Amino acid sequence: MSDVKEYLRDYILQEFLPGESRENLTDDLPLRTSGILNSIKLLQLIGHLEEKYGIAFDAHEAGNVANFDTIEGMASLVSSKKG
Amino acid sequence: MDFSLTPEQQEWQTAAIEFAKTSLADDMIARDHKGEFSRDLWQKCADFGVQGLPVPEKYGGNGADVSTAIAVMEGLGYGCKDAGLLFSINAHLWTNSVPILLYGTEEQKQKYLPGLCNGALIGANGASEPESGSDVFAMKTKAVKKGDRYILNGTKMFVTNAQVSDLIVAYATLDEKMGVLGICGFIIEKGFPGVSISKKIDKMGLRTSPMAEIVFENCEVPAANLLGREGRGAEVFNCSMEWERSCILASCLGTMRRQIDKCVEYARMRKQFGKPIGKFQSVANRIVDMKVRLETARPLVYKIGWLKDHGKSAVAEAAMAKLYLSESFVKSSLDAIQVYGGYGYMTECELERDLRDAVGSQLYSGTSEIQRNIIASMMGL
Repeated sequence: MSDVKEYLRDYILQEFLPGESRENLTDDLPLRTSGILNSIKLLQLIGHLEEKYGIAFDAHEAGNVANFDTIEGMASLVSSKKG
Repeated sequence: MDFSLTPEQQEWQTAAIEFAKTSLADDMIARDHKGEFSRDLWQKCADFGVQGLPVPEKYGGNGADVSTAIAVMEGLGYGCKDAGLLFSINAHLWTNSVPILLYGTEEQKQKYLPGLCNGALIGANGASEPESGSDVFAMKTKAVKKGDRYILNGTKMFVTNAQVSDLIVAYATLDEKMGVLGICGFIIEKGFPGVSISKKIDKMGLRTSPMAEIVFENCEVPAANLLGREGRGAEVFNCSMEWERSCILASCLGTMRRQIDKCVEYARMRKQFGKPIGKFQSVANRIVDMKVRLETARPLVYKIGWLKDHGKSAVAEAAMAKLYLSESFVKSSLDAIQVYGGYGYMTECELERDLRDAVGSQLYSGTSEIQRNIIASMMGL
């Protein structure tokens, strides 16, 4: 799961938080409920994860705020889907 | 990047101007006054190929690239004074036909696209609601899955083409708590049980483009009419908005060009104090400003065509073009009236209608404020 977390951290920093310190993007930092990931960015991130890992999130998995609010939550879901 | 029109695009645009001048020129002042949509002109546009522009030939369209579609819409905006008709066609194209083309199943495309191209079907888009406009994903219209269908309940506001539409691409949420990822897109036939058109909405401009509310009351939509994946309707909606912002103002480029030609002609002909008014710097400078706005707005729109034709995203570019062009259009419409003086204020001069039509461009497909939000977001702010 740690490799997924680091990949997510890299991707979010590069795409959505350029210039932000890596240390500040902690595993439990709220991204969705804080507004850091708006609707366009959230959809981009989810689409990217599905493509990269060859998985598909159903509506209720993706719509569950806890699954896509933090790096921890996202990595956990991705890891469980990867099998 | 080369934004000059290819010979084929130039040919399309010239033909569009000629078609608009000869076939779409009817009693605009009276129809604007009455707020009357013309199904006859709609069909003429379909016969010319406008509604099929971005749709591949296998689905009954022309398979034109985006730059060509923009060139044609610019030509229509120059030749056709019925901005409401063009607005209706734009709404039909970019928020109905294109989402079906990009997100529809093969069956959906084969079923609906030919009719949307040939004029038989008119498309509408239901997204805004009484309590969710700019914050569109806070929508309250609910979709509940029951067996092989979804049951929709809710009201959609400001639906362009509502009264004349046959097919509505509408959005609803599975659960408000799911936020943006609970939104679903649907293709809804007007005849589905539970669809009704509520009151007609009168507008300041674009009056020949019909608008009303659509109410879904236990509306039964077959699951086969889900557009895109369940819970990914926001993606469909964002995509349709990007397309709309990219292309909807191309016709306004043509109108701005027509205004300039009209003002130059008038400024040369109209004499005051013994000379043409165009010889007064205060008049000439206004027309120069109109020209500068047009020439700076035009590459923004054609750049989007280039980006999309090369398979690239144009989210920020579409927002920038929409923002700049709409605000330029309002300023230039005001300038055109000022060049004409008191005559410009008269309905007969047909410039006051351009101004009323132009004001809407700063509001539809996302207000100027929302365009700035999008641009800021894409800048990492």
